[in-house]
Amino acid sequence: MAEALLTFDGVVAGYGGGDVLKGVSFAVPAGGVTCIVGPNGSGKSTLLKTVSGLVRPRLGTIIFQGEDLVGRSPRHVLERGIVQVPQNHSLFREMTVRQNVELGAYLVRDRKVIAERYERVAAAFPIVSERAGDKAGALSGGQQRLVEFARSLMLDPTLVVLDEPSMGLDPKTLRQMFQTVREMNEAGRTILLVEQNARQALRLADQGVVMENGRVRLHGSGHEVLHHPEIGALYLGGSIEETVTG
Amino acid sequence: MSGSALTYAIIDGVLTGSVYALMATGLTLIFGVMDIINIAQGIFVVLGAYLSYEIQLHWGIDPFVGLLITIPTLFVVGIVVERAFMSRLKGPEKTAMSILVTYAVSLLIEGSLNMIFSVNDVQINAWYVNRSFKLFGVYFAYIYVFGFILAVVLLTALWALLYRTRFGASVRASLADQTAAALIGINVRRVATICFGIGTAVTAAGGMVFGATNAFNASSSYDLISRLLTIIVLGGMGSLGGALVASIGMVMLEDVVGVVWSPVWSTMTFFIVLVIVLSLRPQGLFGKQLARTA
Repeated sequence: MAEALLTFDGVVAGYGGGDVLKGVSFAVPAGGVTCIVGPNGSGKSTLLKTVSGLVRPRLGTIIFQGEDLVGRSPRHVLERGIVQVPQNHSLFREMTVRQNVELGAYLVRDRKVIAERYERVAAAFPIVSERAGDKAGALSGGQQRLVEFARSLMLDPTLVVLDEPSMGLDPKTLRQMFQTVREMNEAGRTILLVEQNARQALRLADQGVVMENGRVRLHGSGHEVLHHPEIGALYLGGSIEETVTG
Repeated sequence: MSGSALTYAIIDGVLTGSVYALMATGLTLIFGVMDIINIAQGIFVVLGAYLSYEIQLHWGIDPFVGLLITIPTLFVVGIVVERAFMSRLKGPEKTAMSILVTYAVSLLIEGSLNMIFSVNDVQINAWYVNRSFKLFGVYFAYIYVFGFILAVVLLTALWALLYRTRFGASVRASLADQTAAALIGINVRRVATICFGIGTAVTAAGGMVFGATNAFNASSSYDLISRLLTIIVLGGMGSLGGALVASIGMVMLEDVVGVVWSPVWSTMTFFIVLVIVLSLRPQGLFGKQLARTA
C-alpha cells in the first residue's frame, strides 16, 4: 500500500452542541482515491471541514506530510497543498467564470504564474474557456461543479478534498463528474471524496471508508467495501459489527 | 408646479442623495461582509462632523482638507470598535446581537460627545456653506456641489478598490459566500475588520457634508441612522449598488413630492414606496433572494 499522505488519529470534533466526530482514525494513501460513505449525520462532511480548517478538532491529530493540521487556518491548509470543494456550490455567482477560476489562485501573487495555470486548467476543462466571460450564476449545476473543480486545481494541489460533488447532478453530468475525478487522480492528485452516491464512488475508489455515528465502522479497498454484505444494511439503518481490515 | 422647481428637486436628489449614498455604502458593506447591522453608523457620522468642526475651529483647517485627518481617524476608530466589540460576536444570534452591541457603542459615543460639546447645536462654517452660483437658470449651493463631487470621488475610489484590486476581489468574495471565500485562502476575519474600518471611514466625509448643511448635535444620529437603515433595506441589505440607487431615489422622491404636493407628505411617501417595494421584493431592490445564514 502507498505511503499515507494524510492520517486521522482519534479525531473528535463538533459544533458546540456535542461531538459529531467521536474518534476518527484512518489514513489516506498518497496518489489514490479515498471515498468516505455513510448515512446522513455520520460526520463525513464535518471530517472534511477538520482537514480544511473550517472546524477545529477538540482532540486528535490530522497529520499531512508530517505536519499536524489541527488548529491551522484554511489559508495555511491551502498553502500546504490541500484544496477543498465544498458540498454547496461555492462559485461567486456575480463574478465571471474566469474571475472565479483565477480566484482559485488567490494565494499566488505572481500574475504570470496565475496566467499559466489558468491556460492549463482551461485546456483541461473546456467549459472554462467556453464560458469564460459568463457570470458563474448563469451556469447549470453540473457546469458549476466542473468550474469548481477547475478552480481547485489553480493552486496545483497535492490533495483535493471533494464534499459530495454529485449532489444535484443529473445522471449524464454525474458520469462526467466521476470521469473528471478519475482524470484529476490520474494527473497525480490524491483525492479524498465524500459521496452519497456510494456505489458509483466506491467503484472509482482505491480505498473505501464507511462512517457511522461519528466513527469509522468499516474500511478497506473500494472493491471490498462495495461488496461487503452489510453496507446495504447500514444504509437501511442497520449497523456493521465487523471491519474488513484494521 | 413649475418645471424649474421639479428640476431643482431632481438635482437636489442627485446632489444630496450621493452624500447619503456614501454613508449608506459603509453601512451596507459592513452588513454584507460581516452580517452586522451597525446602529452606530449614525453616531459615527456625527463624530465625523464634530471632528471636522473642531479641526476647523481650532486649527483653521478647511473641512475638505481636514478630511485628510478625519478619514484616517474614523478608519482607526472603526478598526478599534471592530476588534473590541464586533469580533467577539459569533454564532447564529450574531446579527441580532450586533444591533444591541452597536447601539451600546452608539450610546457611549453619544454620551461622550454630549459631555464634551454639550447638547447645543453647532454647524460647520466655511465660505462655500452659504453661497451659491447660477447655472442654466438654476441656483446651486456650493456646499451641495462640493459634497456631490466629494461623494463621487470617494464612491469611485471605493468602486476601484472593490472591482480593480486583489483586496476588492476578496471583499466581493466574502460578500458572496464567506465559507467559499475562506476555502480559497481569503482571510475573512481580516477582510471584515478592514471593511468595518472603511465603512466607518466614509462617515467622516458624509459627516463633514452633513455638518456643513445642517446644525447638529449628538442626538442628530437618530434621524441619520433611521434614514440610512431605510436606504439599505430599500436597496437590498449588502448591495452596494442598491445603496446608491436607494439614496438618490429617497432624496429625489422626497423633494419631488414636496414640490408636487406638500413637504408634509415627503417622508411618508418614501415609506409608502418602501412598504410597496418590500411587499413585492422582500429582499429589497438589489438584495439577495435567499436569506443569509449568520
